[in-house]
Amino acid sequence: MKWTRALQLLATLALVLGVLLAAGCGDDDDDDGGGGNGGEPAGEARQFPADTPLGKIQRNGEITIGVKYDVPPFGFLNPQTDEVEGFDVDLGRFIAEELGVKPKFIEAISDNRIPFLERGTVDLILSTMTINAERDTEIDFSEPYYIAEGRILVPKGSDIKGLQDLNGKSVCTALGSTYEETIRERAPDADLRLVDTYSECLELLQNEAIDAISTDDVILTGMIIQDDSLQMVGDRLTVEPYGVGIKEGDKQMKRFVDQVLTQMEEDGRWEETYQKWVGRHLDRQEQPPEMTLQEALQIGA
Amino acid sequence: MAELWDVLSEHFSEFSSGFWVTIRLVAISFAIAMVVGTLVAALRVAPVKPLNWIGGVFVETFRNTPLLVLLFISFAGLRRAGIPIDAWVAATASLGLYTAAYVAEALRSGVFAVGKGQIEASLSLGLDYPRTLRYVVLPQAFRTVIPHLGSLTIAMIKNSAIVGVSLLALGDLLHQARLVNSRTFATDEVFFWAAVGYLILTGLATVAVRLLEARYAIRR
Repeated sequence: MKWTRALQLLATLALVLGVLLAAGCGDDDDDDGGGGNGGEPAGEARQFPADTPLGKIQRNGEITIGVKYDVPPFGFLNPQTDEVEGFDVDLGRFIAEELGVKPKFIEAISDNRIPFLERGTVDLILSTMTINAERDTEIDFSEPYYIAEGRILVPKGSDIKGLQDLNGKSVCTALGSTYEETIRERAPDADLRLVDTYSECLELLQNEAIDAISTDDVILTGMIIQDDSLQMVGDRLTVEPYGVGIKEGDKQMKRFVDQVLTQMEEDGRWEETYQKWVGRHLDRQEQPPEMTLQEALQIGA
Repeated sequence: MAELWDVLSEHFSEFSSGFWVTIRLVAISFAIAMVVGTLVAALRVAPVKPLNWIGGVFVETFRNTPLLVLLFISFAGLRRAGIPIDAWVAATASLGLYTAAYVAEALRSGVFAVGKGQIEASLSLGLDYPRTLRYVVLPQAFRTVIPHLGSLTIAMIKNSAIVGVSLLALGDLLHQARLVNSRTFATDEVFFWAAVGYLILTGLATVAVRLLEARYAIRR
């Protein structure tokens, strides 16, 4: 009797262990699948001369990409896997894959991403970064890979209905973002509260320390996914074409990134990635952007 | 070199507003730190055990919590709990009480430096305990710990920069510097001037401490 019990216990333990192990392996498989085989350098990747920037990255076997860690659905840390995911992250994986290297993602917030590029802390920036002429003097941009719109987020029932109601109210956005300037110009009497990350803006809005958040619709959508007592109001404030940030003057990298972007727009990977991260939540279909870098640079000018 | 001065002259209003916010922040927090620190030190050395414990809990709570966490709890935490605390109150209370814990410990060490015989003499002359503290112990304790309080004040001035990077979004010197940086990307120049701003404040504090020391410190 005693022995049967012990055997039963052992069998149960083995079963549990087996399931856990299988689940663990399953997770790993998922990661590799979702990551577009990021771990295995593709054999057929084009080789670049060793003394060029891309050649150096290939020799290191790793490309460092700065992404957001708190902006779902573009770049955010998945608490279950402790890995960063999102539209920008997938794009980064595609670029690494085409180069035949592993992607290494590090956090780049709005305020530090340009210095990161200038100092070589990262090779590329893929962090919901709007192309504008001011930034273009510091770094280079790829062709636009996504067109976001600027909107205003308020709690449901707020008396703010649009930009015209922001004067005299406190509005949060990220320090170093394009909205700092937009709000200052178009709602000059708004009390602008600038913080490091959009998660801090969300915290401030939820605890009623501020009245509204203004930033890209995709970022605001991420917030509504987390908290459905919030809603977007008003017309679009701005058009925000996102571009990949490249070190100033690195023509080879720019050509390469633009090629990868064109390729994924043509072979359907762009739409697939869009549906996976954005379309699902916004309930809309979208085509890859047709805007060119030149057009994007003229928006603010 | 020209660019260094351009950054300052073109963004002088931002830098100076940040400088004044930092001064206000530091001045209010300093007052809180000294008053609360003295009271807590008195609790810590009082001859009544429960009072010692209360003082001990205060010191350990505020000294053992990172300032950024204190700022977060006192602002976001309290607001979530339904208390509509103002960013300025949260900032000065956090910085003031945090520093108060250190001030209390410094004063306590100063109190221990006063000879036990003096306290006994004072009590035997008929002074009660609060008066013994007020007229005999604390004046000597303060004199002994002036250099230490000076270091704490300088640390507090530098700690005030943490307010500027927290979600309180108060426009202190560091916050304003980062704002200018986000518009100009002149990182080296911007933070050079921010450092100059803090050096002016810590320099003034150093001079004040030297003067106080020259006047009051016990010569040995």
